[in-house]
Amino acid sequence: MEFFFHCLQTTLVAAEFPGGVVIGADSRTSTGTYVANRVSNKITRITDSVYCCRSGSAADTQALADIVSYRMAMHEIEMGRPAAVRTVANTFREMCYQYRDDLMAGILCAGYDRTHGGQIYSLPIGGMMVRQKVASGGSGSTYIYGYLDSNYKPDFTAEQCVDFIRKGVSLAIHRDGSSGGVCRVAIITANGVERRTFTGDQLFVPQ
Amino acid sequence: MFRNQYDNDVTVWSPQGRLHQVEYAMEAVKQGAATVGLKCRTHAVLVALKRASSELSAHQKKIMPIDGHVGVSIAGLTADARILSRWMRTECLNAQYAHDRPLPVSRLISDLGNKMQVCTQRDGSRPYGVGLLVAGYDESGPHIYQTCPSANYFDCKAMAIGARSQSARTYLEKHLAEFPDCTWQEIVTHALLALRDTLPNDMDLTTKNCTVAVVGKGMEFTIHEDEEVAPFLAKLEGIQRRGGHGAAPAAEPAPLRDEPAPEEREPRPDSPQTMEH
Amino acid sequence: MSSIGTGYDLSASQFSPDGRVFQVEYAQKAVENSGTVIGLRGKDGVVFAVEKIITSKLFEQSTNKRIFTVDRHVGLAVAGLIADARALAETARTEASNYRADYSAPIPVRHLADRLGMYLHAYTLYSFVRPFGCSVMMAAYGEDGPELFMADPSGVHFGYYGCSIGKARQSAKTEIEKLKTSELTCAELIKEAAKIIYVIHDEVKDKEFELELSWVGEHTGGRHQLVPKDVHEAAERYAKAALEEDSDSDEAM
Repeated sequence: MEFFFHCLQTTLVAAEFPGGVVIGADSRTSTGTYVANRVSNKITRITDSVYCCRSGSAADTQALADIVSYRMAMHEIEMGRPAAVRTVANTFREMCYQYRDDLMAGILCAGYDRTHGGQIYSLPIGGMMVRQKVASGGSGSTYIYGYLDSNYKPDFTAEQCVDFIRKGVSLAIHRDGSSGGVCRVAIITANGVERRTFTGDQLFVPQ
Repeated sequence: MFRNQYDNDVTVWSPQGRLHQVEYAMEAVKQGAATVGLKCRTHAVLVALKRASSELSAHQKKIMPIDGHVGVSIAGLTADARILSRWMRTECLNAQYAHDRPLPVSRLISDLGNKMQVCTQRDGSRPYGVGLLVAGYDESGPHIYQTCPSANYFDCKAMAIGARSQSARTYLEKHLAEFPDCTWQEIVTHALLALRDTLPNDMDLTTKNCTVAVVGKGMEFTIHEDEEVAPFLAKLEGIQRRGGHGAAPAAEPAPLRDEPAPEEREPRPDSPQTMEH
Repeated sequence: MSSIGTGYDLSASQFSPDGRVFQVEYAQKAVENSGTVIGLRGKDGVVFAVEKIITSKLFEQSTNKRIFTVDRHVGLAVAGLIADARALAETARTEASNYRADYSAPIPVRHLADRLGMYLHAYTLYSFVRPFGCSVMMAAYGEDGPELFMADPSGVHFGYYGCSIGKARQSAKTEIEKLKTSELTCAELIKEAAKIIYVIHDEVKDKEFELELSWVGEHTGGRHQLVPKDVHEAAERYAKAALEEDSDSDEAM
């Protein structure tokens, strides 16, 4: 008999704008074909100014996020200042690469720091780390590569960026069976983090 | 030398901020037979005085090859010198294997310094009681380094260590300006002259009691012993001794044996010949 | 001048009746026997100047350098037992390397100072090791501007605008206090630093010395380096000229 784990077959999107980043995700967690949680929160706080989007095994990514969050808390106390986004991403990367044979985790790590502003680091399965202005992850992301590539502009305002993300997640949900529920979004800037949720009626539906 | 309550352990500082155990270890170097190192623009040279513990035994080796481009001459506890030489050989081998090129001498020396420093700071072991003159040749040219039991090391133009080596250093300082332009044969002559100055008047350098080693451009570290030393010694003939070491103590043994005169040192419980060269 | 601990001063793990750890104080004495080092933190960087005393003509000029670079951006200048100092520099380099591996960023000098301070302190707690016989100054120029720290054998470390260690540190401190270091640029400070070394150098006791100079600042792009040859020569000329003036004015009196 096949054994299904809780999986975040998912859609994750993130985009930079001048002044910060906007990250978004769907909210479906499935065990096989059963939707275990239709309103899950895949956007997880690591530090006050760095968040991550999780895809892959729910257990693996939750454990990873907990560990990185703990280590970064210690680091911030020692340094006396907020952690750099790259440092958080690197901490993820070290673990993802070292335990690559045991983990199934695809992570988007994004946030804001004083030195380099808004940054997004993509950490796909296997333990690579690369900084991108627009990034996506999860099974639903394959359906919106074209949309993301052709619609992103580096000089979006925060609101335009939120709209870009919302539409991207909506389009992926429309096509990907493993993605669904609501679209959760977080906007991270120098002033902090704002979270929003777009329920079904607020998703973008193509005509 | 004095005895006080701060000189039993290497982990104890004296009120004047000195480490007496380390200073005592440096004395061991001064007991060893003299050795001289110098370099010209293309080669580095070591010469050393060997001692024989008795008429029946061979003279103790003073110069040890480390790698094709590096060798050392020792003064002090031979056993400690062997341990350090073995370590240096392993380091050179590993570097050659990993990087496919000879280990730069400065790197070898700085790693050696850090290794020696460890036992000057903790209980359970003592400082290494040996001073080394390291001659090497690498991409940045010829080198002569001096290392001490204190774990300090010096990059030298020329140097002499061991018993009565001050006379040799005086000779070297006097002729310092000439060395860079010499050929390697000429600096061997200079080195032997400096070495000769450390001997009492009634002793001389022979093929039995001195060694010569050369390394440099196009020349791997090569040690010359016994008969091979004769042509170098021949060049010294006719050159006046500078006066070298003055009146030898009355109880100087017969010229053939180069033991140090017992009066020169404090009485020691161990037989000197077993410990130091 | 040295207080005697007699009986309570043989190991770092023992306090004296008046609450002092004499072994640590004796280690600090070793630093006082060494050539002077000064560090000056200015508007746009930090400079180091070292009075490197030459004990033999037979040594190469480059031997026993007392200024080290840790990673690319941190300068380390030392006074005291050079063997201990080299071991400490090696430790600092390892710390910086590990930091880079863990956090994918160069180590902040403030953090390095903390780590070295804790390391030095660890050797003052036990009887089976002895305290390090060296003080280290650390400097860097980064996001937070120029920073200068000094750690001594006890492990205590502070940030400084101007700092001196070694045999003539009191005289050097007096000279440093005459300057308003936070208003001067590196180019100006390097000359002042050279001058201070020449002023405090004791001609009678230690004849030959070599002046080592280094800096890190905005103009070096945050990299720590020994100063270029022409800057070094200009600074020495300034120092010697200033010394001449002083001695002339003494004669006039």
